[in-house]
Amino acid sequence: MKNALLVQLFKRLPWLRTAWARRHRFVEADGIPWTPLGKPVAESVVALLTTAGVHLKSQPPFDMEDPDGDPSFRVIPVEAPRAEWTVTHKYYDHSAADRDINVVLPVDRLWELCREGLVGGLAPRAYGLMGHIDGRHLPTLMERTAPEVARRLQADGAEAVVLTPA
Amino acid sequence: MGLTQRAIEAAGIPTVGISLLREVAEKVRPPRTVFLRYPFGHPLGEACNTAQQRTILLDALRALETITAPGTILEPGYRWRRQRFGGATGTRREGTTHVPLL
Repeated sequence: MKNALLVQLFKRLPWLRTAWARRHRFVEADGIPWTPLGKPVAESVVALLTTAGVHLKSQPPFDMEDPDGDPSFRVIPVEAPRAEWTVTHKYYDHSAADRDINVVLPVDRLWELCREGLVGGLAPRAYGLMGHIDGRHLPTLMERTAPEVARRLQADGAEAVVLTPA
Repeated sequence: MGLTQRAIEAAGIPTVGISLLREVAEKVRPPRTVFLRYPFGHPLGEACNTAQQRTILLDALRALETITAPGTILEPGYRWRRQRFGGATGTRREGTTHVPLL
């Protein structure tokens, strides 16, 4: 399977992914959407979203067999016990995230900043996606997943979002 | 990740993304980016290095307040495993598999 081979190469030769990124045809954008921060971070509710394949063990894992990726998302309550958090992603070495989820989703760090008054609040839910969406799943990501996640973030009261990759 | 970031920003919530691939950020053009020359799987640095994770998260949060030009990519310039964060080399919590929520 060509894709499986590529995945192993990406994991073992990280520079290869940089070379791939240079040549890969991403959805290139002209205009840049812009929403100014309404109030200082110290008064804002901040949400987290990652494309590093994070989900709860009780939730279905991301589909790693589809070469176009998995365009679905997982809703992770931030108070869920950390032992329940896991990573399903074959395209990168997530051994560090397995030991400490904050390496890809800094939920405990954000919570600490909230308690210190440097951040207004932590949104009640984090969102887990898988990166590497391609081909036929790109429209699903852009037309369904991303708008749905945006709606949920608004419903959560998020006033700013920090996004982290794999 | 950049496409999702753009969609959230377009829906009216300001966003900042951490990037480990500058080329991707330059092509996809998210509104605000903090770029780090770190290996994949380490957008906040190393496991259990709370000082490092905190510094990078604060950089991202600060970028929400300081970036005024759409598409700006900030590069703090931290060197992978050759940078000291906070007081000591970071608080290592030996023997824990996860950091519990306090």
